[in-house]
Amino acid sequence: MSELNLTINEKRVLQAIAKKDKIPPEELAQTSGLKIEAAMQSAFLLAEKKLSKISEEISDYYELTSEGEKYAKEGLPERQIMEYFEKNSKNEFDISLLKKIFYEYIEFGVSWLLKKRWAKIEKGKIISLIPKPNKGEDEKFIEELNKNKRIYWINVSDRDRGVVYTLEKRNLIEKFTEKKRTVSITDRGIELVNKGITIKKEIAQLTPTIIKNWKNYSPGDYRPYNIHTPVKPVYGAKIHPYQRLINDMRRIFLDMGFTEIKGDIVQSSFWNFDALFQPQDHPAREMQDTFHLDTTCDLPGQYVATVKNMHETGGDIGSTGWGGIWSEEVARKQVLRTHTTAVTIKYLAENPDPPVKAFCIDRAYRREAIDPTHTPEFEQLEGVVMDRGVSFKNLLALLTEFYHRMGFEEVRFRPGYFPYTEPSVEPEVYIESMGRWVELGGAGVFRKEVTSPLGIKYPVLAWGLGVSRVAMLRLGLKDLRELYQSDIDWLRKSPVL
Amino acid sequence: MPVISLDYKDLEELSGMDKNTIIERIPMMGCDIERIEDDHIDIEFFPNRPDLYSVEGVTRAVRGFLGKESGLRQYKVTPSEIEITKDEGIDKIRPYIVSAVVRNVRFTSRSIESLMALQESMHWALGRNRKKISIGVHDLSKITPPFRYIAQDPGFKFVPLDFKEPMSMSEILEKHPKGVKFAFILEDFDKYPLILDANDKVVSFPPIINGELTRVTEETTDLLIEITGLDHAVSTALNIVVTALAERGGKIESVTINGKQAPDLEPGRMKLNSSEVEELIGLTLTDEEIISYLGKMRFGAVKSGDGIEVLIPSYRSDILHTWDLIEDIGIAYGYDKIKPELPATSAIGTAHPVSELRDSLREIMVGLGYYDVMPFTLSSERLQFELMRRDKPDGITRILYPISEDHTIVRSTILPNLLEILSINRHREQPQRIFEAGEVLVDCQNRLHLGAVAIHPQANFTEIQSVVDAVMRERGIKYWVFKGKDSAFIEGRCAEIFIKGKSTSQKSHVAHLPSGEIGVIVKEYDDNYVDVRFSNPHRIIHLHKDEVLRDDEKYKIGVFGEIHPEVISNFGMEHPVIGFELELKEYL
Repeated sequence: MSELNLTINEKRVLQAIAKKDKIPPEELAQTSGLKIEAAMQSAFLLAEKKLSKISEEISDYYELTSEGEKYAKEGLPERQIMEYFEKNSKNEFDISLLKKIFYEYIEFGVSWLLKKRWAKIEKGKIISLIPKPNKGEDEKFIEELNKNKRIYWINVSDRDRGVVYTLEKRNLIEKFTEKKRTVSITDRGIELVNKGITIKKEIAQLTPTIIKNWKNYSPGDYRPYNIHTPVKPVYGAKIHPYQRLINDMRRIFLDMGFTEIKGDIVQSSFWNFDALFQPQDHPAREMQDTFHLDTTCDLPGQYVATVKNMHETGGDIGSTGWGGIWSEEVARKQVLRTHTTAVTIKYLAENPDPPVKAFCIDRAYRREAIDPTHTPEFEQLEGVVMDRGVSFKNLLALLTEFYHRMGFEEVRFRPGYFPYTEPSVEPEVYIESMGRWVELGGAGVFRKEVTSPLGIKYPVLAWGLGVSRVAMLRLGLKDLRELYQSDIDWLRKSPVL
Repeated sequence: MPVISLDYKDLEELSGMDKNTIIERIPMMGCDIERIEDDHIDIEFFPNRPDLYSVEGVTRAVRGFLGKESGLRQYKVTPSEIEITKDEGIDKIRPYIVSAVVRNVRFTSRSIESLMALQESMHWALGRNRKKISIGVHDLSKITPPFRYIAQDPGFKFVPLDFKEPMSMSEILEKHPKGVKFAFILEDFDKYPLILDANDKVVSFPPIINGELTRVTEETTDLLIEITGLDHAVSTALNIVVTALAERGGKIESVTINGKQAPDLEPGRMKLNSSEVEELIGLTLTDEEIISYLGKMRFGAVKSGDGIEVLIPSYRSDILHTWDLIEDIGIAYGYDKIKPELPATSAIGTAHPVSELRDSLREIMVGLGYYDVMPFTLSSERLQFELMRRDKPDGITRILYPISEDHTIVRSTILPNLLEILSINRHREQPQRIFEAGEVLVDCQNRLHLGAVAIHPQANFTEIQSVVDAVMRERGIKYWVFKGKDSAFIEGRCAEIFIKGKSTSQKSHVAHLPSGEIGVIVKEYDDNYVDVRFSNPHRIIHLHKDEVLRDDEKYKIGVFGEIHPEVISNFGMEHPVIGFELELKEYL
């Protein structure tokens, strides 16, 4: 074994424990010139190398009670009485008189006077036997304890042990127990110390001087680190995990050749509902489901007549329409968009020339009470393809491609229903971890009742999904609110995957 | 959406097929299975198919879809002598009424339940919560035709269903559970709809409640069905109910209302061409194949000229357009059998500039040690203004019927949301630094804001100033700061951020330097340079125009500083908080 394996601190501690057996941590720190934590850390490392031995001892010690403290200052009651005799130059007093002076002390004061044979009682009088008694062992012990605050049992001389019991009984001192570590050297340690330990300064932190003179140092000069020391975690700031997921989806759309579109949060009922052929008495439009505002806005003049006609009579595409009267006033009412489709349809109306490949990922608002799986606002994703000759089977292929890129290997389709698409389809993806198919989003071809009044002449394939659904699956969330009212520790600890 | 409970016994009896086949195949017909139980299955059907809201309707569809039967289902309607007279007075209240009689129905408690469930689901899906349509089913043996549909005074009394004593119609609206629930439909009227029989006995108080008299029981065999409402949809509803009962063996008889007979079970007609199917679905099918698939979906279909004539069952309310037929053809063909094929459409994807801007801001802020957060944009005036010690500005986007007091407006600033998140995290380790590049609304218009806050015992003005400076530098924006007057911040530890905007008023000669020094422009040169005179010490400096901000060009884009202790306390926190918020436009 070579002493080179030891750090400077370890060497210092080793030297300290070579001088004395069973050193407590405070003393070890003092002798080795290290801080307590550093000294003990080295002591433990030495113990691992079987050079030191750390033992835990249970020791009893004594401290003054508050009563004891008082007497330490004023003297024990029996002493106070004796001093009173002395002060008044008398050797006897009536007990009744003493009672008035010493109150409650008097009883045990007198009993200890008798026990110590400093005085005797005769006919209601206390008569002093010794004019000025010497300090007893008990009084000396209290004084010492008052000075040192604490005395360990092992340090109490055999002669004093009886005194300790008496004082404890008198409730003047109290016994405590503590666990105490001490460090001792082992035979192996002694052997090593006997061989001689040289303490050469090791390099801790590199300095420009050391770097410049690197040739003067050999590998052993650098203090090695314990590579297994537990790491204190540091956390770097980062993009929100949900935002990263959204960015992944944006990337997929961009890779697939879609253009990103954005639009207003506040929409007219016209764009949010009417342009999508939602009948004006549809329950989804009511106050229970949609956030309405008290404001209205102008309608896009060029579409009002055709949309009205479509709702009332089915326009010129051979549809029946919804019948009844379509009201401009209702269409003018403003709402918080209930879906990003309001943005998509407006974009298509403004860009009717094929081909259009567009997507939108943004907030939508529904009048829902907050609970773990519902929030009144949430991110929605939507993609559309408008072109000559595209059909439902193309939509199924786009969906398959999209979900594959999102990491869902298996996709299947079931008929669905959405008010503004025909045919409509509900894609399902297989979630390995759940062992089942999960419905994820919706899709379809925009109804002619939707596209025709807006001058869109070619089929529009569309699909959408709630991004938070994916977030729950991907981020393993149990409560959607965590996305919006994030625990910063969750953000700190969530991995960048 | 309505969830229909289908009893296996009922289902197997009516369809003649075993339940496992049905459970396996039925989702491909268009529905979501909610629960599979020992004796029944709960299925959610779509809101456009009220004809599937009964076990009878489902078996009719399933028998076609699974190939047991094909084509249009025919129902016989026998004329009856029963008449309903409709009073003119009712036209302003609830103008539409249709009615039919179904005889020889054998009820069990289960089939009565199924009928009630159908009624309730239809009230939801077609009826707009009974407002647009309401359905009444009555034991015909208890009443005597002809019937009258009238507008009656609210004081009129009768014994409503589930009650023993007579109540006035206005009492019913106040006290009867159904009355309380649906009183809103009649709130604007001073007379209420009522159907009476020949002896003035009450049949129904639509759309609220039937009379106790005509309660349907297991002894009932002959039914009077009346449907009242606000438009023609009453007819489809009647067709759905009577054909469902006919599937159970009932015999349909017509009722004459003001000379007009109901129900009208004549199928609708639509022309269809195979090329339309190919265009929409991408499937090449022959006319014969199309006819067979339509048959599976219970349509009648025959070749007619160069196309196909389709007969649409009178109970289907969802066929508005040929595409609705084509979807059914696709469903009959099987969505699982359609071969997906990517479209040839080629286009180049472009990210939206706002997204790119947000991405860039996120990069900057994360680099500065700030965590990205995504709070709700719904907020409250309390959070936005009261807790922030700020006055309410104009242009707040208020929500008409908020669902909670935390969400009464859409936010116009981000800082309150960020402070709220700090507040949620007040027991977490500090320092905490968070930001959001997100949208706010001002005058109903979206605006992009960047906001950031930090909390820790040493947080101070200088720290946040450095962050603001870093953001502006990274985005290459020249900015000036002025003393801030924002009461959310500590006075004297708050600064407002200005950039050079378009001149808004008369040209000023007062010139500000980024250092805060103020001078006067004394001369302008053609090469975009100016001479600015400063006093104390007196000097004239020749500067490029971009280096000086004239008073009239000042455009405020944000604020930063140390948050006021009252605001910090309002959010339940105990340590210094600093923050900034910037409005971002294309120039940022």
